[in-house]
Amino acid sequence: MPYDWPGLINLILLLIDGTKIALKVFFLTLIFSLPLGLVTALGRMYGNRLIKGLMKFYILIMRGTPLILQLSFVYFAPYFLLPEGLRINFDRFVAAIIACSLNYAAYFAEIFRGGIESISQGQYEAAAVLGFSKRQTFMRIVLPQVVKRILPPVSNEIITLVKDTALVSTLGIAELYRLATGEASRVVSPIPFLIAGMIYLLWNWVVTEILLKAEKKLAYYK
Amino acid sequence: MEILSVENLYKSFDDNEVLHGISFKVREGEVVAVIGPSGSGKSTLLRCLNLLEKVDRGTVKVAGDTMVSTNDLGQVLYPPEGALKKIRLRLGMVFQNFNLFPHFSVMRNITEAPVIVGGKSQEEAEKTALELLEKMGLSDKANAYPYQLSGGQSQRVAIARALAMDPDILFFDEPTSALDPELTGEVLKVIRKLAAEQMTMVVVTHEMAFAQEVADRVIFMDKGQIIEEGDPGEILTNPSHERTKAFIKGLSDR
Ligand SMILES: Nc1ncnc2c1ncn2[C@@H]1O[C@H](COP(=O)(O)OP(=O)(O)OP(=O)(O)O)[C@@H](O)[C@H]1O
Ligand SMILES: [Mg+2]
Repeated sequence: MPYDWPGLINLILLLIDGTKIALKVFFLTLIFSLPLGLVTALGRMYGNRLIKGLMKFYILIMRGTPLILQLSFVYFAPYFLLPEGLRINFDRFVAAIIACSLNYAAYFAEIFRGGIESISQGQYEAAAVLGFSKRQTFMRIVLPQVVKRILPPVSNEIITLVKDTALVSTLGIAELYRLATGEASRVVSPIPFLIAGMIYLLWNWVVTEILLKAEKKLAYYK
Repeated sequence: MEILSVENLYKSFDDNEVLHGISFKVREGEVVAVIGPSGSGKSTLLRCLNLLEKVDRGTVKVAGDTMVSTNDLGQVLYPPEGALKKIRLRLGMVFQNFNLFPHFSVMRNITEAPVIVGGKSQEEAEKTALELLEKMGLSDKANAYPYQLSGGQSQRVAIARALAMDPDILFFDEPTSALDPELTGEVLKVIRKLAAEQMTMVVVTHEMAFAQEVADRVIFMDKGQIIEEGDPGEILTNPSHERTKAFIKGLSDR
């Protein structure tokens, strides 16, 4: 047993630091990808032909290639694509947030689109004859109903995102998984993996509980 | 006074001409029943009149104000958005499938448009809503949600919702067709009550007995045209036109 009690506490403190970074990736990705997903869905549904095509292409790329590849691409692309003088040094954390947000926005966009398309034409017509503008109809009549319908699939994505934060380790970001790997090979012990696994599990348990609460809160109508 | 005047209305979907020169008028306080076989264009007519569809040709006036007109070049002209919205607010619509907003309580279904679109205060809108619910016999349902209502109750809420905007004319598209037979009565009763209060209404219906009893005038449509119109007793019991005869006979044979 390579860990004594002080060593174990130090390990946990270290992994908590990593968790904080993983949480940052998680929340920032959600904050950017949810609105971006909505805009993408609206562009995909109501845009002109060019916008529709662009959104479709974007969704295809993001869902059709590995996130881990997208992370590397966003990080390294400026270096290869920009001329020498203009080469910016992309912060790895910023690159990670951009890649994760773009990727999740594509998944959210398709979920939103499905949700919006599931609202019956009758709802739009009832709103129209009552004099609601298009915007009012969307914000007051359509969107609240969409939120309820898409909550289960969105919850799935959010739970996957908790685990996908581990992928940003490929850019050398010192988040939970990377720190656990480092410690495990340094001390030659599976304990860091075990603790990291427990942290991911606890994290997802909290996320699941919150999402279930939200679902319950929206259960007041059918 | 004329509340609605329709002249020479045409409407096609692709190459399917659904309305073929429809003209009729509705006076204030009048109840007009529109009958006719399936596919004759009754729903399409209502949808054109409440701006859910754009017409291809023709003129519609609401209480003297032009809602749509057609110039000499055959171009269809609708007034600018602001003016059109004012006209739209004078037209109420009740759908076959109610189309209540499921995420709003009955109260909010009725108050949302008066508050958001009509600019009424919340208290004022709720006061009106309670009065309307009482009239519909639904005073105890203000806080219910649509999924908790029967079809007949849903349709009465939908009628209250339309009335809350205080329209000049109310259109109904088969308001009882989605209901179980034992529930149609409660909806027809409400419409009867509105008729007694001189509410101007155009009702597309398959309920001939109801049309005969409540309507001041019946319009028979077939293949996108008005075949005949007139006194309900006359049209429903002693039609002059062959197609009307066949339609009425078909109904009584069922
Ligand atoms: N949005 C649409 N697109 C294409 N065709 C349509 C559309 N709406 C109606 N039609 C066609 O127009 C014709 C008339 O339809 P409409 O619904 O007005 O008839 P109706 O008299 O209301 O019939 P019913 O008694 O069955 O309700 C039908 O042939 C129908 O297929
Ligand atoms: Mg119809």
